[in-house]
Formats: sequence, structure tokens, C-alpha cells
Amino acid sequence: MLAQKVTVQYPDEKIELPDRFHGRFELDADKCIACMLCANACPNKVIQMERAKVGKKQYLTKYVMRIEYCMFCGLCVEACNQDALHFSKVFNMNQYFRQKVRLILVDRPVPQEEEAGEAADVKRPATEGTAGAKREVAAGRSAAKEGES
Amino acid sequence: MKTQTYFLNLGPQHPSTHGVFRVILELDGEVVVKATPVPGYLHRGVEKLAEARTYTQVIPYTDRMDYLANMLMNWGYVEAVEKLLGVEVPERAQYIRVIVGELSRIASHLIAVGSYAADIGGLTGFLYTFRDRERIVDLFEMLTGSRMTVSYFRIGGVADDLPEGFIPLLQKFLADLPGLCDEYDGLITGNEIFQARTKFVGVIPPEKAINYSLSGPNLRASGVNFDLRKNRPYGVYDRLDFEVPLGKNGDCFDRFVCRIKEMRQSGRIIQQALKNLPEGPIQAKVPKVIRPPAGEAYTEIESSKGIFGCYIVSDGSNKPYRVHFRRPSFINLGCLAELCVGWKVADVIAILGSLDIVLGEVDC
Ligand code: SF4
Ligand code: SF4
Repeated sequence: MLAQKVTVQYPDEKIELPDRFHGRFELDADKCIACMLCANACPNKVIQMERAKVGKKQYLTKYVMRIEYCMFCGLCVEACNQDALHFSKVFNMNQYFRQKVRLILVDRPVPQEEEAGEAADVKRPATEGTAGAKREVAAGRSAAKEGES
Repeated sequence: MKTQTYFLNLGPQHPSTHGVFRVILELDGEVVVKATPVPGYLHRGVEKLAEARTYTQVIPYTDRMDYLANMLMNWGYVEAVEKLLGVEVPERAQYIRVIVGELSRIASHLIAVGSYAADIGGLTGFLYTFRDRERIVDLFEMLTGSRMTVSYFRIGGVADDLPEGFIPLLQKFLADLPGLCDEYDGLITGNEIFQARTKFVGVIPPEKAINYSLSGPNLRASGVNFDLRKNRPYGVYDRLDFEVPLGKNGDCFDRFVCRIKEMRQSGRIIQQALKNLPEGPIQAKVPKVIRPPAGEAYTEIESSKGIFGCYIVSDGSNKPYRVHFRRPSFINLGCLAELCVGWKVADVIAILGSLDIVLGEVDC
């Protein structure tokens, strides 16, 4: 009774998570070269990606994680040698609808031929920040829904 | 007076079966006439899944067998692949394996001890052991990023080096461990009701233990001195000094006490491993795509529940042709039917709890 408390009042108080914590994934789309190493390392085929050839390079157009099948083992993050895929500390991934579980990290159009030379233009969708990303996710979700039905 | 026997289903959803496990009890009044264990509710087909995965990709699945001693499950599997490949694991990785493996053993025994106390009716003991297990789980989270499904071992080494701040926290835990064990001894082992419920209940004589192929604390509680870490040392266990705690009577009480004693020994092992922890690489040089030569390998390690074996057949491709796991919980369960006969329903709970099964491993 005199001992210190060992519990915390969760939503108000949070335990600090370690740096290696396996939370929701983050993808740095600028670093990703769409090499598929992560997708091939995954035991459960969680990662699905689409890519297009722009100039000489592969360009990532879509990166979807079927997170409902993910074991959070980290083999994908370990496989990426471009340091593009990371774990974040977000663990609250609950959704009310199954369709929303799917994690869409990148969903963007192929840049037009003439624009491809302008690096700034290619990078725009990824660097726009969270507001842009949210819109993309929303767009991607409806696309995923259509795909499933 | 002759009465009719009747059937009672214990489980599959019953907190005292430690998972989804069913025992069909044929009872005469309150006395068991026949007990038929029905495992299989948690079968996921890990062995079959492994055939469609590359050698590295199987590792996360092994976590999910004995999820209470996840590191040891990883270890049993990678050991077999390493034997098949013929790779030599670097010193530092060997010592790290011992450290995390023994931590896993302590975590597993903490659950065994705590849940056994709860089975017998003392829920307080359960809370104490879970409080302390949390510290190990936190250490694992710091080391691997996951609390239970660690996937920390790699073929030829381990995934990551020890992070900063890991060793001081671990040392603090190890310093506290003997005190914690004393606390459990005082709270649970010394309790008169607990002793009355467990002493001379479910006795397994040594010959029967051997005939049933029991292993781990269940075997040693019957007084048979057999621990793979001593009898057939793997890794660096031959360089570590520890004792193998033995029981005398082979009853529920001895099986329980054996686990607390083993925790103390594991603490000693980790302390030595920490002291001797060398610098160096944590991963042997293995090819990116692992293609062991065609052939087969079988290795065994001493897991927290007993001897965990892994048998792999390779056909020379990058996926195992066949994997089989010898899961100690499943084999230890073999004697349950015979042990229960003649005891009352409440004792069945005591006997089942003392065998310390984990259903992820029983059903695999
Ligand atoms: S964490 Fe594991 S299961 Fe999840 S996507 Fe990565 S490799 Fe696949
Ligand atoms: S391994 Fe890395 S760089 Fe390659 S596709 Fe995956 S995230 Fe992109």
C-alpha cells in the first residue's frame, strides 16, 4: 500500500515510447526508389506498390500497406537500404470500418514527361505536408473501397 | 451407492485453461473418472505457413508459438537454420542471445508463477508477478520495438545491438530480482492454503516423467536432472556457471517452486553474460538470400517450458521444404489425462496450471 504506483492514467498520462517502437509506418517518398525490396521482404505480402518509369528512374506512384495483415515484425524496414521506410510512435490505428484500416502512404499521379525534368515539381506532392497527405489518403481510401467491392 | 457418471466440459473458454483449451471430464460426483484433453483451437498451421516463406520470413511466426517466451522460440528456429547453413555466430551475438533468452525465461516463469497463484485462488500473486514482468517487457520494447512479438533473432546473429540505457535498466532489474523472488516465496509459496492445495497433488514419479517425455521444470520437479543448457550446452552456456534446481516429490508444489528457483538462476546467468559481454559484430556474414544446401537439421534448446526442437528439411531453395517444431507444452500435456484421474475438479485446475502450458505452442 505504501509502494509507489506502477500504473499511469492512460489518456491523460502516457508512457514515453522507446525510439525503436514499432508503430504506424512512415514513408519518405522522396527517398524511395520503388525498388520493391520492402515488399519482397514481407512475410505476409502486406506492401503493395505501383510504379512508373519516369526518364531512367522508377517513380513510385502508389504505396499501400494492407496493415490488417501486418505483424509489425520490421523486416520491411530492415530491408530498405534507402532509409525511406520507418516506424513512427503512433500506435492508435483503430478504425471503425474495415476499409479504412488500409494504410495508404503514397498515392500520386505520374508526373508528365515535360515536368519530369523539374525536380521541384516531382517532389511537390510529398513535401506539401500533412494537409496534402490527408487529402491523398482520403482519395486513396475511396479508390481502395471501389477496388474491393 | 452407485451413481451415474456425467460429463463436464472444462473450456475451451475458461480462464484456468490458460488459453483456448478444452478438457472433457467424466465425473463421478466431484471425482474425475476420465479426462480427455482436446487441443487444437489455436492451430494456425505455422509449420505449413513456413513452407511458403523464406527462411528469414519464418522468424516472426515463431514468436507466436510460445508468445510468453518469444525470444527462446526465435532462438530454437534460427539455431536449426544456422546448423543447416554451417554459420558461426559471433561472440557478442551469442552473449546477447543468452541475455534476452534468459530474460524471456524469467518473463515466462513470472507468468507461470503468477497465473498459478491465481488458479489456486490468490489473485494478489498474479498482480505482483505481472508488475515485475512489465519491466522485462519494457526492456524488450526498448531493444526490439515490440513488447511480445519481438522477432529479434536473425539467422547468424541478432537484429540490433543493445540500445543505450538498456544495460543500466537491466542491471537494476537483476539487482531487484532476488528480492522479488523472496516476495513471491513469502506471498505465495509460504501460504498455508496454497501448500495444502498443491503438495502431493498430481504427483509424477521420475520414471513416469521420463516415459511421458516430459522436459523442462516439469521433468526436473520430479528429481530428474536434465537441462539441455548443462547436459548438451549450446551457444555459450558451457562458459556460464549456474545450478539446475530440482524437485523431490514431482507434485504441483515442486513444479511451482522449481520455476521460482530457475528465475534466480537465470538472473545469475544474465549477470555473468553481462560481465563477459564482448565487443564485436552482432551478425555473422550470411548471404542476402539464404539458400541452405539440400539436407536436414535438427536442433534443440531448453525453452522455459522444456525442450524446444526444430527440424528443417531443405531442398536447396530459398524456402524450407518442411519445418517441424517439437513444442514442449504439447508434449508435457500428454500426461494430463492420467494425472487427473482420481482428483477433484478443483485439483484438475491445480494440475493443469502446474504443467504451465501455453496454447500458442500446444497448437502451433
Ligand atoms: S512489419 Fe513485417 S508484416 Fe508488416 S509490412 Fe513489414 S515485413 Fe510485412
Ligand atoms: S525498400 Fe525502401 S526504397 Fe525500396 S521500395 Fe521499399 S521503401 Fe522504397
